Amino acid sequence: MDLGTFVSQFISGLSVAMLIFLVASGLTLIYGVLNVLNFAHGSFYLLGTYFAFQLMQLIPNFWLGLVAGVFGAGVVGMIIEVLFLRRIYGRPDEGAFQLLMTYAFILVLDDAVKFIWGPEYKTISKPPIFSGSVTIGPVVVPAYNIFIILVGLVVVLFAWYLLNRTESGKKVRASSIDRQMLSLLGANVPLIMTVVFGIATAMGGLAGVLAAPLRTVTPGAGIEVIIDSLIVVVIGGFGNFWGALLGALIIGEVLSFGILWWAELATVLTFIVMIVVLIWKPEGLLSTKSAGGK
Amino acid sequence: MKKSFLVAVLIVAWLTPLTTVFSAETIKIGALYTMTGRGGQYGKDSEVAIKMALDEVHEKGLPGDRKLEVIITDDKNPQYAVSVAKRYISEDKVKFLFGIISSAIGLAVTEVSKEQKVILVGTDHAATDLTANKFQKYYFRSANNTFQSMMAGAMYLKDEVKNWKKIAYIGPDYAYGRDQWMEVKWGLDKLGVKYEVVGEYWPKLYEPDYTSYVTAIMKAAPDVLIVGFWGGDTVSFIKQAKPYKLFEKMIYFHVDAGGNYEAMAALADEMPQGLILSARHHNNWPDTPENKAYVQKFFKAAGRYPSYAASGAYVGIHMIAEAIRKVGNANDTEALVKAMEGMKIQCPEDPPGFTSYIDPATHQIVQVQAIGTTVKNDTLPPAKYMLGNWKVYPAEKLWPISEYVEYLTKAKGK
Repeated sequence: MDLGTFVSQFISGLSVAMLIFLVASGLTLIYGVLNVLNFAHGSFYLLGTYFAFQLMQLIPNFWLGLVAGVFGAGVVGMIIEVLFLRRIYGRPDEGAFQLLMTYAFILVLDDAVKFIWGPEYKTISKPPIFSGSVTIGPVVVPAYNIFIILVGLVVVLFAWYLLNRTESGKKVRASSIDRQMLSLLGANVPLIMTVVFGIATAMGGLAGVLAAPLRTVTPGAGIEVIIDSLIVVVIGGFGNFWGALLGALIIGEVLSFGILWWAELATVLTFIVMIVVLIWKPEGLLSTKSAGGK
Repeated sequence: MKKSFLVAVLIVAWLTPLTTVFSAETIKIGALYTMTGRGGQYGKDSEVAIKMALDEVHEKGLPGDRKLEVIITDDKNPQYAVSVAKRYISEDKVKFLFGIISSAIGLAVTEVSKEQKVILVGTDHAATDLTANKFQKYYFRSANNTFQSMMAGAMYLKDEVKNWKKIAYIGPDYAYGRDQWMEVKWGLDKLGVKYEVVGEYWPKLYEPDYTSYVTAIMKAAPDVLIVGFWGGDTVSFIKQAKPYKLFEKMIYFHVDAGGNYEAMAALADEMPQGLILSARHHNNWPDTPENKAYVQKFFKAAGRYPSYAASGAYVGIHMIAEAIRKVGNANDTEALVKAMEGMKIQCPEDPPGFTSYIDPATHQIVQVQAIGTTVKNDTLPPAKYMLGNWKVYPAEKLWPISEYVEYLTKAKGK
């Protein structure tokens, strides 16, 4: 394989990985801090897209749409956490309640989107500045894909700083280890949990808006991204932020080079990787108790 | 006495019209459509088209002033759809099963139809099997199957596309995608076209990210990329492939569902020019009063132009009504089957001088297939490109082709 093909396929894999990571990071953050496996996380990806679409109907500006999508998904996430999820924390069958409630929200939010915005496909255009491509020798990379990769890296750096270098980050990490102790030390644990849920769902909304110019904006899109995100979280380790990044990179590149070399079975390869990890290290590659993944 | 007689007359007079209303039989049709998720648009559009067709049928009237009533349920998956179909028959006493978008569900529900001897009119799913190797006498289809599109496509490649040899294929990794690839290759072989396959790519249905597929296809560098996507997958692929300049380096050829109006509406000005596409119904072809009236009527009812799925549902209801008119009732299933076999049915997609008909041997509707290329045209917004430069393939050259049915039966079994 020539270098141009390798670089081209590697960058494709990186672009795929970053969008999966943006969804999976929120999913794993919620699990790490709240101990909730939020099956409805893809619905916040969907909501982010439609909030952005709605705002862009009024003011056709991608960046304002991005803000609306991120903010809207975060606010709806916090409302759901306060009004619904909080009621099931600590119940004897919390796991079963989580499953039922978050699955119910997939259906409710999906139908709400269809009811409000209709079933037909919608369009969100790329910001004009990223509409072209960058060509380096034989390698062509769409400028928008480079932008997505950069946003993913910024999120990684921001999350590292927030979790490891700030007082709030320390509280978030502490709440993932021992909520009761943190509460006894005077921290407002319910508020921390609500804010973390809101940040995580806002990240889902961010992924939704960023992906919209490349994908079909339609009800049901949230369900399509949650499967890959779950695979990534399983590979990296449930609740581990850095594990989500590693898992996304592995899946993105395995899929990308699998398509090149073994196209017939490319989609199966991601599941094979997951099975190998589950056998070799069932807790995930980077599993620790801390959401910060110390 | 006189007074009580008068009261009795008045009561009888009051009850008479009611009796007439209640004696008019309501014929129930049990429909299954995908109403949620990405396929929900097709279910919703079919629902609008059913309502349009019912209004027309009732305006014209049915024998004995009968009325049609359509019950619609979200079909979800094959197992669930089978249970709903059985419930429709046993509890709702439907006389017909109807609809279905997914071929997997169509293949499951046709078994119920066969076992219970209830007519199933398939309006959307396109797996050729249902009117070929999996044929059963109670199944009818009111829209083209994938073979009809792909055979027309093979003819187009042979006659209209010059200087090509290398082909690659990308399509969803399930029966619908696999069948199209098999059918276009069969068609090319049958026409004696020489070609070289340089790549096959099988993303899952509803794959959100095609970036790595695009770069792999660019590396394979086919002259023609044959595409078998359905629904929103077409939109995602085109959006993601465009910045790589894929459409400038190879011919994009997508003739079963690539020309679906909803994809052109979603892509708007991002749709590249010159792509070779087709669909089972076009909103701008044929340019007949019938097609225009159908499209505008749908727009008036839904506030948007129809997706391809609506036409199959619209035609399917008219097929049922016509069969009931011929037989005089909906209770004699065997007579209804006979009435539908060979039935001529005017469809919005029929060009002047042609009327679609049901092939008596396979129960497949036989229609022309028009293939076009994308050209600027904003007469049906929000689409900014529509198909033009049409090439039309005669219906009888596309179906039935017994040689292919035999080939399919050998390849897949009965």
